[in-house]
Amino acid sequence: MSAPGGFRRVWSMPLLLATLTLFGLLAALLGEGWWWPLSWIALGSPLLVAGWCLMPQDRQR
Amino acid sequence: MLNTRQIRAWYQVHKWTSLVCTAFLLMLCLTGLPLIFHDEIDGWLNPEAQALDLPASVPDEDLDAIVAQARQYRRGEYLRFLDWDDERPHVLSLAFTTDADSDDFSRAHFMAVDARTGQLLGEDRPAGGFIAFVFELHVRMFAGLPGELFLGLMGLLFAVAIVSGVVVYGPFMRKQAFGVVRRDRSPRLKWLDLHNLLGIVTVAWALVVGLTGVMNTLATPLFGLWAMRTLPPLVAPYRGQAAPMQEQFGSLQKAVESARAALPENEVTSITFPTANLGSPWHYLIWTKGRTPLTSKLLTPVLVDVLNGRRQTAAAPNYIRALKLSRPLHFGDYGGLPLKLIWALLDLVTIAVLGSGLYLWLARRRSAPQDVTAWADVAVAEKSA
Repeated sequence: MSAPGGFRRVWSMPLLLATLTLFGLLAALLGEGWWWPLSWIALGSPLLVAGWCLMPQDRQR
Repeated sequence: MLNTRQIRAWYQVHKWTSLVCTAFLLMLCLTGLPLIFHDEIDGWLNPEAQALDLPASVPDEDLDAIVAQARQYRRGEYLRFLDWDDERPHVLSLAFTTDADSDDFSRAHFMAVDARTGQLLGEDRPAGGFIAFVFELHVRMFAGLPGELFLGLMGLLFAVAIVSGVVVYGPFMRKQAFGVVRRDRSPRLKWLDLHNLLGIVTVAWALVVGLTGVMNTLATPLFGLWAMRTLPPLVAPYRGQAAPMQEQFGSLQKAVESARAALPENEVTSITFPTANLGSPWHYLIWTKGRTPLTSKLLTPVLVDVLNGRRQTAAAPNYIRALKLSRPLHFGDYGGLPLKLIWALLDLVTIAVLGSGLYLWLARRRSAPQDVTAWADVAVAEKSA
C-alpha cells in the first residue's frame, strides 16, 4: 500500500483536471449562454496547468 | 496496489497498443486540425450566397411554390433533398441529381434559395478540394467502409493505450511531484516527464474524442441498421405499389405542416424526397429536431405519404441517439470559436504526447542497455515505494 496521502498526492491534480474537462465538454453541449464561457475555462484548464508546469522554474511565481 | 509484474504487464499493453496505433493517430490528429475549422475554411474558400435583405415581417413563401420554381431551373433532374440552413437564416438549400435513386451526391447540384421569395440566390458547390481531401483521409483513408472500420479499431487501441498509460502513470509518479519536468538529466528523462505531464492533463479529453471517433466510424453500419429495421415495417403496406412520379407528389407545404402538428415541440430541418435509396419511394421523409441545446442534436423523422398525406413518425432508437450525440463531442463544433481553438490546442498537445511516446520508444532501442529505460523507471519507483 502507498503511504497515507500518496494516492492524493499523485492523483488529485489529474482527477481535478479530468473532472473539469468532463464538466467543460458537457456544459457547452447541454447549456447555452453563460455555460459556454464556463466550458471554455474548464476545458482550457488542462492547457493552463501544462503551460504553467512547462514555464522555466524561476518564472513560476 | 499493483505489484511489479502487473505494472510490467500494463506497461507492455501501453507500449504495444501505442506502437500499433501511433502512426494512424498522428495522421488523425494532423488531418483533424483543419477539420475543426472546416466551416470557416469552407466559407473562406467558397463563399456562400446569403439571404436577401428583407424586412423581418416578410413571411416564408409556400414550399410548393418554391419547389415548383426550383424544378424549373433544373428541368429533367430530380429534387432529392431540401435543407433549412442552420448557418444562414432564411436560406433553403436544395440538392438535385440526374438519377432519382442515386446516393452519390458528389455530382449533385446544390441550389440556395431564399425561403421568403423562392428567389435563386446561387449555386452552392459541394464542399470540395482541400477540405474534402483531408476529410476523406481522416474518415476512411480513401479505403471506403473497411478504411473507416479500420480507423475505428485504431481508435479502440488508442483508448486502451490511454487507459494503460494512466495505470502506469501512478507508479511512475509516486516519488515525484505533479508536473515536474527534469530537464537537467538525460533528454530521455525530460521527454518522459513531458509525455507523462501532457498525457495526464489531456487524458479525459483524448479518451472522449477517441471513443466518440470510434462511435462515428460505426455511423454507416448503424444508419444502415436503422433504415433496415425502422423503414421496412412502416412501408410494408406499400410493397408492390408503383413508386409515384415526381409530377404526382402531393403538397409539400401540407406535409411539413402535418409534421409540425405531429411534433409541435420540434422544428423541421430537412426533407428527403421520395427515393428507393435510404428513404421511401412513397413518402416525404421530414426530419425534425428539438429546440434545446441537447435535443437539437437529435433527429426524429416523420414519414408523410406523397399521395394521400397520411403521416407516421419513427422515433430514433438509442444507438442512433448515441451516434448523434457523439458527433459534436468528436468535432468540438458546439461551443463557438473559442471551443474550436481549445480543441485545436488539445489536439496539438495530443500530437506532442504521441510524438514524445514514439521518441521514447525509438531512443530506448537506440540507447545502451544500461541507459535509463521506461521500464527501469517503473522498477525504481516500485522498489523505492
